[in-house]
Amino acid sequence: MKIWKRARQVVVESKNKLSSQPQPQPQSQSQSPTPTPTQPELKPVSLASIKDELKDIDDAVFKDYQTKEGLVTVVYLSTLIDPLILHKAIILPLVNDQGEVLKSFDAMEGWNKQKILMSIVNGNTVIYHHDKLQYLKAQTFSPPVRAISSSEMESSVIGPQDAFTESLNTNLSLIKRRIQQTGLKSKEYTIGTETNTKISVMYIEHLVNDENLQRIQDRIEKLDYTGFLDITMLKQLVEDNPFSPFPQYGATSRPDVAVGSLLDGRIVIAMENSQTVMVCPSSFIEMFNSSEDFYNRWTTATLLRILRFTGFFITIMLTPMYISALSYHPGILPFELLIMIQESRSRVPFPPVIEVLFIELVIEILREAGSRMPTKIGQTIGIVGGIVIGTAAVEAGLVSNTLIVLVAVSALLSFLMPNFLMSNASRFVRYIFILAAGLFGLLGQMLALAWLFNHLLNLTSLGTPYMTPVIPRSWSDLRDSIVRFPLAFLQKRTGMSRAKKVNKPTK
Amino acid sequence: MDVTKKKVLNGYHVVFLVQNIMVGMGLLSLNNSLSPVGYGQWWLPVLFGLVANATLIPIIWLALQYKDDDLFDIHEKLFGKWIGKTLNSLLILYATVLFAAVIQNYLDLIQSTALPGRLMTGHLILFILLTVFIIKGGIKSLARFCILTFFLTGWMIYFLRWGIAEGEIRHLLPLFNFTASEFWDATKKGYNTLVGYELIMFYFPYIRKPEKAFKHASIGIWLTTSFYLAVTIVGVMYFSEWQLEHVLFPVLKLFQAVDLAFVERIDTFGITIWVFLILTTAGAYLWTAKKGMDSVRNKNSQYHIYVMAVMTYIIINLPISQLMRKALYEKIFYVSYGLILWPILLCLLHLVRRKKKEAKK
Repeated sequence: MKIWKRARQVVVESKNKLSSQPQPQPQSQSQSPTPTPTQPELKPVSLASIKDELKDIDDAVFKDYQTKEGLVTVVYLSTLIDPLILHKAIILPLVNDQGEVLKSFDAMEGWNKQKILMSIVNGNTVIYHHDKLQYLKAQTFSPPVRAISSSEMESSVIGPQDAFTESLNTNLSLIKRRIQQTGLKSKEYTIGTETNTKISVMYIEHLVNDENLQRIQDRIEKLDYTGFLDITMLKQLVEDNPFSPFPQYGATSRPDVAVGSLLDGRIVIAMENSQTVMVCPSSFIEMFNSSEDFYNRWTTATLLRILRFTGFFITIMLTPMYISALSYHPGILPFELLIMIQESRSRVPFPPVIEVLFIELVIEILREAGSRMPTKIGQTIGIVGGIVIGTAAVEAGLVSNTLIVLVAVSALLSFLMPNFLMSNASRFVRYIFILAAGLFGLLGQMLALAWLFNHLLNLTSLGTPYMTPVIPRSWSDLRDSIVRFPLAFLQKRTGMSRAKKVNKPTK
Repeated sequence: MDVTKKKVLNGYHVVFLVQNIMVGMGLLSLNNSLSPVGYGQWWLPVLFGLVANATLIPIIWLALQYKDDDLFDIHEKLFGKWIGKTLNSLLILYATVLFAAVIQNYLDLIQSTALPGRLMTGHLILFILLTVFIIKGGIKSLARFCILTFFLTGWMIYFLRWGIAEGEIRHLLPLFNFTASEFWDATKKGYNTLVGYELIMFYFPYIRKPEKAFKHASIGIWLTTSFYLAVTIVGVMYFSEWQLEHVLFPVLKLFQAVDLAFVERIDTFGITIWVFLILTTAGAYLWTAKKGMDSVRNKNSQYHIYVMAVMTYIIINLPISQLMRKALYEKIFYVSYGLILWPILLCLLHLVRRKKKEAKK
């Protein structure tokens, strides 16, 4: 049995299109064998049975009103509905008895019990007409929402400051506010067998690659997972390679970035209750791009991009280099530097690899503790912990001064990336490099690098190679990869999105 | 994934596959292996390039006659099932031993330069595992890795700058100051640095535009040749004749001439990053061995890679004397010379068979 439901109090477009969409089949146990839509209303659904289903839900409201047209019962979940809207839109017309008022609501003819229940749970108000044995529906869903504020995850100095909130409708409206045309499609799906979470797959019809769209839709339809709490969970379930440490789809909490991806021919997926949207496909290099790059002058943007990109490689190489230089190849360091490091290491009794692992883990612990604590305490702990532990560790002879500097720099570099998941990945990969360096020195590091590159080269994002545009190369993409050319040069859509129209229209 | 498709290699994939498989350990000791001809050696890479390009002609011609077959299939078609399979088994052995030779030569060098006095078992296992990891993605994975390797290691040519600065340009002349036997000696030893392009016979069926393969492979060959030419010229300028003859890895010495403020011994760095070049070469031979196994057993299986890897590990750890091993590894390069010339014979055989067929008609 296919269940579909919609609760939209905003403008509803393409109503009839949606109904033909196949939906994942929730396997909740409350379902009883119900008549198929082709043979409607074998027996009318009684209000008592609805009442029975909604028992023990203390916000379920059943209210009887006597109108000109007969007795009606209004059913709704009070927590999902703004009482003012309810009062204005439903109760007042009913009580004032303006005649024919019932006709203004959507009739629910041929609806079975499950659909009626779902529409109540979705925040609609269902009106039961006792005389005609008929159900009517009014869209009154208005849950409490957070106001639009600026993004904390991806803040920028210039450019728009609005960010997505947890409400799907707000997020959709933020995007649709920016692209005003009918070509922007948004298809709704319901995923999560228990949570019935709504997601919206958005794309611009004349730009998106059909194969990509088909692929992501297939994957969404095949999903079989209990509950989705955030879009990152969906992301992991529809990824090409779930075992990789690298995120294969982009994520953003900024509407302008989402719109930019849409205009490039990508697919954007938004989820109810999720503050970020997902962009697919996405490439490795894009993880180093921030939206501000396009608002900045191209010189500054390029400089920052190069910094972020090399930062990634420095952060995974710096501390491992310290290990291999000190424990395997002291010859590669200039003599003065070697003396300096040895001097600062003179009181440290451990081999370099233990020393590095120790201080790296301490930094990781500080970061984790600082980010989980209440903000005010977190900052204090971070500063005090950092300084106190750092200084004390050096004085106690647990680590060397030089190492503290290196670790601090590499920790900072790992946070240069605008994509949080990518910076996590870089820190994870660093541990592999540290272990490789500890075991096999510089050769181990190079072998780890070979592994890393080979892994990245074999990764795909929605079937498109992850390392584009470097390999496979596409010359026009290189203009907007590590180097951000002046906007006038960016005339083509990226090869990554495989858009139907490659050239952006000029003039 | 692209792995399932048959035709996966674009033109640039072919260029870099040819280029990277050729560059292996050979380059490191190029000046040394060409030393019989003394200072006259610097133009030999060009000659080798010409020879390589000439021998490429029968290879590609033969491959074009059998567009969808690799050398293993061609063997079976030309010689029949049994002789073909025997030849293929020999080829597998050849590829495996070369794989082992490439790895072990490199690890020996690492052991003597970068990691003195350490046991290399761990490195060896890691190395083989990594090659397996690369090969698991198929030939395209290897091709992509080759492109990356080119950009990761190609810039090292810049290090030759210091060699030029300290070198003596007069060493380049006279050109032909050697005897025929010296020349023969140098060619015999030096040509193995170019070995590797013959593997195109094995990945030819995967090339998307086979008609253009000759052009792309030639570009690959000349890319390598230009690298070699640069190294030999600088080597000749920088070293004395005695050094050329006695320094086993002149390129490492050239690295040591580099004078940077933040790194003292760039040669350690250079030799470890060389691992990328070794990985591509070793990977190509492992892939060939795997393909051979597939064709002999008439079955495509990823397990063949593991079998080959284990076999290589056993070969490397065989309890035979160092001398024997060295002889084996040197001889195996002569086998590759044979393999490069082998297609000429196959071409003749192919023509004879075609004539016969036409006569029958």
